Amino acid sequence: MSLEVSDVVAGYTREVPILNGLDLTAEDGRVTVIIGPNGAGKSTLLKTIYGYLKPERGTIKHDGQSIVGYSPKDMLRKGIAYLIQGHSIFPRMTVEENLELGGWIMGSDSERREALERIYERYPRLKEKRRLSAGILSGGEQRILEIARLTMTGPRTLLLDEPSVGLMPKLVNEVYEEISRLKDEKYTILIVDQNVKKSISIADYVYALALGENRHEGTKEEFAERLDEIVKEWI
Amino acid sequence: MELSLLLDPGILAQVLAQGLVRGSMYALMAAGLSLIFGIMGVKNFSHGELFMIGAYVMFFVTGVMGLPWPMGVAAAAVVLFGFGVLIERTLIATLRKRAGRDWLLDAFVLTIGMLVVMQNLALILFGTERRGVGGLVDGTFVYGPIIITYERMMIVAVAVAVGLALWSFIRYSDLGKAIRATSQDPGAAQTLGIDIQRIYTYTFGIGAALAGLSGGLLISLFPAHPTVGFYPVIKSIACVILGGLGNISGAIIAAMLLGVVEAYSSFFMSGGWQNVMTAVLVIVILIVRPSGLFSSSKVERA
Repeated sequence: MSLEVSDVVAGYTREVPILNGLDLTAEDGRVTVIIGPNGAGKSTLLKTIYGYLKPERGTIKHDGQSIVGYSPKDMLRKGIAYLIQGHSIFPRMTVEENLELGGWIMGSDSERREALERIYERYPRLKEKRRLSAGILSGGEQRILEIARLTMTGPRTLLLDEPSVGLMPKLVNEVYEEISRLKDEKYTILIVDQNVKKSISIADYVYALALGENRHEGTKEEFAERLDEIVKEWI
Repeated sequence: MELSLLLDPGILAQVLAQGLVRGSMYALMAAGLSLIFGIMGVKNFSHGELFMIGAYVMFFVTGVMGLPWPMGVAAAAVVLFGFGVLIERTLIATLRKRAGRDWLLDAFVLTIGMLVVMQNLALILFGTERRGVGGLVDGTFVYGPIIITYERMMIVAVAVAVGLALWSFIRYSDLGKAIRATSQDPGAAQTLGIDIQRIYTYTFGIGAALAGLSGGLLISLFPAHPTVGFYPVIKSIACVILGGLGNISGAIIAAMLLGVVEAYSSFFMSGGWQNVMTAVLVIVILIVRPSGLFSSSKVERA
């Protein structure tokens, strides 16, 4: 399920577009990483893909089909899930309730039950803590819960906005191990992260944005050589 | 004040029953207010007018059409649910979409406007006359010196049943879970495909239904008239503050407590003092425990 963004212009108001004719492709089963300075439009891009912002111009296609104008429900039905920036667990609900809500759009209880079992098998730690309030989990566990919840409906494409923000280095590694696991399972993953080194380490392909356009793109190897030079441009 | 009366179990039980009846009304009102505030952030000042409409619905169904009281109470709840949904869809949702950050203040002013409009419409349509229905349930419970009418017991029983139903709905049903999720993190709820606009609409509808049900249930004590909602709403706002803003079960417990305190103070002091007691209680709580009687130590919501 590849994701293709082409010539997209979008922003919060018509007068000030944040994305200026952006082109980007997230290949099927690959990890695509977007880096760039603050204000480059990284989060705006994910919001636009997920339908929170309506593009003024351009096309967004998933699996060859336009997804412009889709609601979050439609996105999930098409197999696209979105991890928003910052904390997004429901702290005063149990771990299990959080996961159940991840399957909100699923038609039947039995379907949701099955998905829950699948998640518990994959994340035994969450199963152990399923009756606890999500708010008392550690920061790393909360992030794992968010990622697990994202996969309840069995999506194939994941949009991750700053998955490692606000975590201490040890936990950043844990979160990235989890993302690598998803990579091995052939999810199509689009990541935006401040942690450039860490995100590039698992990337197949990298885009560097500046002022709503892609300035550089290339494979991980190409980027590794030019990284210092690109980061210098931001400062 | 006759101190000897304090030792009379019959009188104490009588006053307690009175208190629980008042408390039931406050609890149903406060639960709705607290639900709407906790989930949407809206302080609904027109909640008393929803109570008033519920009382009129009850009057027409039981007093005019002569149907049995449970149908009147149910009709009051259903009509107000529909009315609440309509108000949310047409007025509150419109403000939320348009007004950006300050929309909550606008919504607050809107609900004051709704209060004025609804009261005056009632005045034009039904006049100032009080329209009550007496004797919903006949008979009296007698146990030694304790004498309580079945009607009072019925009011408390219905309130308790509705309170429990509301609690289990919010706790166990899918929609209840989505409502809680939306109140804790609307942004995250949205990404999971929860239609938060719909959740807000249902929430307001349920809150309005509780007010309507309360107005219908209490008709024998509070006959329908255009300003009948004034005291119920003032008192239930006090309960929401006492219980902790947005804490529904806290508000319900505070309501029962306030009802009983009021009943005893209006019995043992002269009439009118119960309103002073409410104000004193609210002020003391705001000074001693600003986030309410039942909040955990950390402040969950600014």
